[in-house]
Amino acid sequence: MPDDRVTGRLLRAIAVLAFVAALASVPLFAGKFVIYLAMRVMILGIFALGYNLLLGGTGLLSFGHGAFYAAGAYGLGFFSLHLSPNPLLGVAAGIAAAMLLALLIGFFSVRSTEIYFAMLTLAFGMMVFSLIWNARDITGGDDGLIGIMRESIPLFGGVKISISQDSRYYFLVLFFFLLSFWAVHRIRNSPFGLVLAGIRENAKRTEFAGLAVRNYRLAAFVISGAFAGLAGSLETLLESNARPFMAHWTHSAEPVLVSLLGGIQTLTGPVVGSILFVAMREIVQRFTENWMLWFGIVLLVIIMGFRGGVVGVVRQLADRARGPRGG
Amino acid sequence: MSMGNVLLETRKLSNWFGKICTARELDLAFEEGVLTSIIGPNGAGKSTLVNLLTGNLPVQAGSVLFRGKDITRFPIHKRVRMGVCRSFQILNIFPQLSVLRNVMIPVLARSGRSMRPFAGISGEKAVLRESEELLEKVGLSRVRDSVAGALSHGDQRLLEVGVALAAAPVLLFLDEPTAGMNPVERVRLLESIRELSRGGRSTFVLIEHDMDIVFSLSDRVIVLHRGEVIGDGPPDEIRENARVREVYLGDEMTDVFRITGEE
Repeated sequence: MPDDRVTGRLLRAIAVLAFVAALASVPLFAGKFVIYLAMRVMILGIFALGYNLLLGGTGLLSFGHGAFYAAGAYGLGFFSLHLSPNPLLGVAAGIAAAMLLALLIGFFSVRSTEIYFAMLTLAFGMMVFSLIWNARDITGGDDGLIGIMRESIPLFGGVKISISQDSRYYFLVLFFFLLSFWAVHRIRNSPFGLVLAGIRENAKRTEFAGLAVRNYRLAAFVISGAFAGLAGSLETLLESNARPFMAHWTHSAEPVLVSLLGGIQTLTGPVVGSILFVAMREIVQRFTENWMLWFGIVLLVIIMGFRGGVVGVVRQLADRARGPRGG
Repeated sequence: MSMGNVLLETRKLSNWFGKICTARELDLAFEEGVLTSIIGPNGAGKSTLVNLLTGNLPVQAGSVLFRGKDITRFPIHKRVRMGVCRSFQILNIFPQLSVLRNVMIPVLARSGRSMRPFAGISGEKAVLRESEELLEKVGLSRVRDSVAGALSHGDQRLLEVGVALAAAPVLLFLDEPTAGMNPVERVRLLESIRELSRGGRSTFVLIEHDMDIVFSLSDRVIVLHRGEVIGDGPPDEIRENARVREVYLGDEMTDVFRITGEE
């Protein structure tokens, strides 16, 4: 048994290292388009990883996280256009804006659970969308915020790192992606994460453990909002604009679909889901306009046949291959 | 039986479901160290009373005091922190978590370390140790790493009590803790309750259907009927209480009364 555990940990470490190495080498070998797609995968991955702390981690289904994504995007946009073009400070501003909005929306939403919670977050999300859409003078309305530059990152002693090229910006996205992955992993295995799991399993019992469930739900909501804000600000730097449709409910559905596709009870599920989502969109879109139809069919199969998502199924198969040794 | 301090007190506590009264101006006091049982026919208001006392139901009229402090409007988690906890008649555990993690959650809550998002759970040595000791106490060490939902019914009932105990309550309400247990498991659980009660850390209040259990275990028996107290005293006194006998007459409980009375 202990041997199994050690080899398991070793295998996992090797897998993580190989994954990081593969990601880091993308700009060295791949063309512009693949670099771009890899960034889209990582940004969606950050969005979904954080979102899944709420869905898989706490058992709350939110349909409004597009609002926090947009808060991150517009937060960075305003900061960069009006205050300072420093991309790191801009990202920090985006995250702060998203967390503030999540605190506000979460405060009212976490009072309810299940369908009521989902509907409240949906309603708040739509409000944020129409606010952005209608406040033309401030947000640029349907044009969005445009002309956001990717300035160099100033370091100590006047040294600057240029990120204007995609192949360089890639490493900033990679850095934040790995940081997010590590952070979510830590949170899942922390005392706080255990309390969230308790709330997911049995909120009443968690209250009777002496814990203020609503506060923990709110904390999880704000944390997942922070990741959404990070993803939004990174996309804004990538595309050099922030668009109102980032807050649209169809965009809020993306981390839900991605998490379900990959498997909500696993750490890697949302990442695998993001890879599949972006890859499918790119491939299927070449053959048909209705890529959502095909994606819908795949999701249907996953939900009806493989509740654990892709990662869950792979894990089951691996367990079966290892034989009935148990443990 | 020594007279302890009053832990929990109710003043004219009342509750209705529509027109049905499930608690009528109840004035009750629960003293430290007195193992109390609450009995009564179905619909007598036993579970309602526990729900009102633990914050699971909002109080409609009257008040609840804990150590003299008015806690009528306190939320559940605050009452638990003060020392009032409960187990449930219907299993209320964390089914997908391991047995150890089930009891870790209340222990963590008390440690004040439950908000730490980046600390490793395996680093919480004191919490782990206390949780393991608790599993030892309720006899679940052998299944500590099993998923709670996969345990036998009896073990899940033990865990239900274990999770409630993990909150280190001063006053613990056990709502039919032995429901659905086989006789062997039942005796084992009651033995541990008796032992824990003697240990003096927690005061127990049981809701039970099994009269054997009630009369052999309790220091005090409260009989509820339609939201009112119709008997309150030591088991021997309750057994002889005319009103109690009258209420139970015609009920299947009559036999139980006769049998235990003849012992």
